[in-house]
Amino acid sequence: MLDWMKEIDRILRGEATRLSVLRLGRVEYKLGQVTIGTLLLAMIAGVCMACFTLFKHGGPDYMQAVATVVKVPLLFTLTLLVTFPSLYVFNALIGSRLSMISVLRLLVAAFAVIMPVLAALGTIVAFFSVSTTSYPFMLLLNVVVFAIAGILGINFLMGTLHRLTIAQTEPLDIFILDEGPEPAPGDTTELPPILQTTGALAPVPGYSPGQSVKNVFRIWILVFGLVGAQMAWVLRPFLGNPNLPFHWFRLRESNFFEAVGTASRHLLGG
Amino acid sequence: MAFLLLAADSLLRAGANDRRPLAEADLRVLVGLIAAFGSLYGALMGTFSGVQGDHSLQILYSALKVPLLLLVTFALSLPSFFVFNTLLGVRGDLIQALRALLAAQAGMTIILCSFAPFTLLWYGSCADYNAAILFNSVMFALATLLSQRLLRRWYGPLLERDRRHRVLLRLWLVTYGFVGIQMGWLLRPFVGAPWSSTHFFRAEAWDNAYEVVFRMVSGFVAK
Repeated sequence: MLDWMKEIDRILRGEATRLSVLRLGRVEYKLGQVTIGTLLLAMIAGVCMACFTLFKHGGPDYMQAVATVVKVPLLFTLTLLVTFPSLYVFNALIGSRLSMISVLRLLVAAFAVIMPVLAALGTIVAFFSVSTTSYPFMLLLNVVVFAIAGILGINFLMGTLHRLTIAQTEPLDIFILDEGPEPAPGDTTELPPILQTTGALAPVPGYSPGQSVKNVFRIWILVFGLVGAQMAWVLRPFLGNPNLPFHWFRLRESNFFEAVGTASRHLLGG
Repeated sequence: MAFLLLAADSLLRAGANDRRPLAEADLRVLVGLIAAFGSLYGALMGTFSGVQGDHSLQILYSALKVPLLLLVTFALSLPSFFVFNTLLGVRGDLIQALRALLAAQAGMTIILCSFAPFTLLWYGSCADYNAAILFNSVMFALATLLSQRLLRRWYGPLLERDRRHRVLLRLWLVTYGFVGIQMGWLLRPFVGAPWSSTHFFRAEAWDNAYEVVFRMVSGFVAK
């Protein structure tokens, strides 16, 4: 039960993505446990979002609540499935040494960063869900929360890709220093600059990636961000408009960005 | 009682005269200080409508509401702070960061209590309900401003050690403010209008503070 927490914690702390670990060419963690843990955290985030429909005026809508709790993990799984093939192909085209399974592990690890952030912000979402009747406000709050989680996830993805590139090109002996126990905070003075980073998001100082690698990074960000946003749009409603009857899915219409604009106008225009 | 006063005194002085108590303050003591001094000011704040009959309940409610406002907001903002600290790689400092945040909160309630005589004097000299609310807002704002000094003193060592703590502290203040404003709005009334009967929650209070502000602004713009 607690093993999946420990594994996700290792990813969040950046222990799974230290340079010495990445030397093997992949993010080292237990894939099965992290997947289960990430799905569980996604469901917790879903429960927090479902508070809006559970506490709305005119009684709770249980079907919508169930739909929300199911849809958040579904969003994670489908985004992974849709982005994985193209990201793998881009990566292979550019000549990266990452194997197919390494790319998959990297993507799952990114979700293992996104979902804890989403679940942790869940307390705030749940609090506002319970105390707010305005649908546009909740919609925008959830967009902001998902955006924060997504941006952190993309940061993690980029940072790790960057380190993977470095880890495979640097000579081996520099990493031996990094294999000891984690240094105490502030106690990084003896390490060479390349290893003076702790934390999953920290960039490696003094190393900037080459142009081709940068292009791959940009494509990854674009693909990952757009697919995630559009997948969320396809799977809507997540919250459930209190004025509409429950449906599992809405009709194909409009798009994500237009809807965010409409919600903002509704909120500001009263 | 004496223990609370001693703890409050050492909290205010910590770091200014000697640096030793900074690292040793117990988190439970800090939470206890927030609860004790918060409810003391709350109780005094609730005396506006008098202490007779129904209105004495307002004193009890306000005494509960002030610590609730501070501690529940703290609890709701805590999980994301924890994850952000972990992600930025400074979770080793988390306890010290929490101690600094709680100490600033506790300091805020202690400062508020020291202002309580002003509030009572104001209540005694002016019977206007809106003025009472305004006066209390000013007291809260002043206490919050002064407690920033404590926050800087307690958080200082962390800020000096690592730039990441600066980002985290800002994130915390944004989250805490965002949740706190809505929490304060929900827990109304704190002062208690003399003409209405006493309730824990106001019937119409169950809505969103930001939405109300948006509506007011858009109403103003539309004029």
